[in-house]
Amino acid sequence: MSDARRRFEAQVLPHLDAAYRFARWLSSMPGHADDVVQEAMLRAFRGFAAFRGNDPRAWLFAIVRNCHLTALSQQRRRAHEPLPEEPDVENSHFIAPEPGPETDALRRDDQRAVERLMSALPEAYREILILRELEELDYRDIATVADIPIGTVMSRLARARAALRREWQRNLKETA
Amino acid sequence: MTCAEALRVQAYFDGELDPGEAASVGKHLPRCAACRALLAELGETRAALRGVPALGAPAALRTRVLDALDEEAASVPGAGATAFAPTKRIRGSALRTRPFWFGAFAGLGVAAIAAAMFAFVLLPMSVGPMVEGLLSAHLESLRPQRLVSVVSSEHHTVKPWFGGRADVSPTVADFSAQGFILLGGRADPLLGQRAAVTVYRHGKHAINVFAWANENAFLPEATSRNGYRLLFWRSADLAYCAVSDTTWNALEELRGLIQAQSEAERRVDASRDAAGTE
Repeated sequence: MSDARRRFEAQVLPHLDAAYRFARWLSSMPGHADDVVQEAMLRAFRGFAAFRGNDPRAWLFAIVRNCHLTALSQQRRRAHEPLPEEPDVENSHFIAPEPGPETDALRRDDQRAVERLMSALPEAYREILILRELEELDYRDIATVADIPIGTVMSRLARARAALRREWQRNLKETA
Repeated sequence: MTCAEALRVQAYFDGELDPGEAASVGKHLPRCAACRALLAELGETRAALRGVPALGAPAALRTRVLDALDEEAASVPGAGATAFAPTKRIRGSALRTRPFWFGAFAGLGVAAIAAAMFAFVLLPMSVGPMVEGLLSAHLESLRPQRLVSVVSSEHHTVKPWFGGRADVSPTVADFSAQGFILLGGRADPLLGQRAAVTVYRHGKHAINVFAWANENAFLPEATSRNGYRLLFWRSADLAYCAVSDTTWNALEELRGLIQAQSEAERRVDASRDAAGTE
């Protein structure tokens, strides 16, 4: 195995799970995340020699995001393949398939609700919430990944959190 | 109801404030019910999101990725090839058989490509976030109670306020006589630094004059977005941008006033330095 490959496997490959999670949240189209992540990993490998930063994870997220946007625009160009309007929450990989005790089932309902709320948000909001709340990137890294200034990170994050909260409260009212 | 401190409370929640700022938010919270409610909401949202189980990449995807990396290494010599030594030797000898001027032209080629890359790749990337950042900071400032952090029509108060709060010290002056009334100042996060913002009123229009350290030598042309006009200029080692919904003529006039003021201050400093060394 070459040095480049060894270095890549030690520093970038451990973030494969996180990259996949991020891609899954960006789009719930079946197979989309797999293709995006494979392409992103390949591009990351080709570009790794030139990578000078100290956080390969944020760098990898930026590549995943670019690959996702590229794939999306290609799909839109192919007019005969309409984009699914409704994300397939039912088939979501985020939900453990095995039935558990009743409390777990309740918890899963909550989790399912959160996922549904998230998928109702605009992609820019969903993206920034994932990067901050689940992947725990700081503002500077989010600015790099989402290609926006730090001021915009702060305002967008505030709007995204407020939007999620609004959806949440609307959902509570509907189920009540 | 949202408090003007909402973004700072969020930054506090996200652990983005330095200890001094965090302490000041800590003092604000007991006095502000809206911010306490916000902090509780932020915690609830985070807990709900983190309750969603983390998902790993499917094993099949991991295999696909590793296979793709193997293929990549096999198809591109040098990238992952173990036989790198012969490749190098061939390249070295090929270069040596070329005439001496080849290197000179190759160098020019590289320079041209680099210049083209700079013009077509780097520039749009750096202009987009700059304009977007300025515009969003301007819009943010138009929300209630956001326009000025230090309210003063006296530049002797505004300028020292920037010290420690902004990363640069711009030219600040009151131009009431010319119709530009100094309202005060603010420090905004912009392009990874704390820009100093001087706020003027011209008729009914607020004008934000952003100043920041400009390491790369490039500034965008004057541009307008959504009815707001952005006028850029450079003075000493700082970049300035005036943002407002007022007229181009008014912005140009303000720029002229600030530049003249900054030139006058520079001459005074220079003469003082000269006097000091004598």
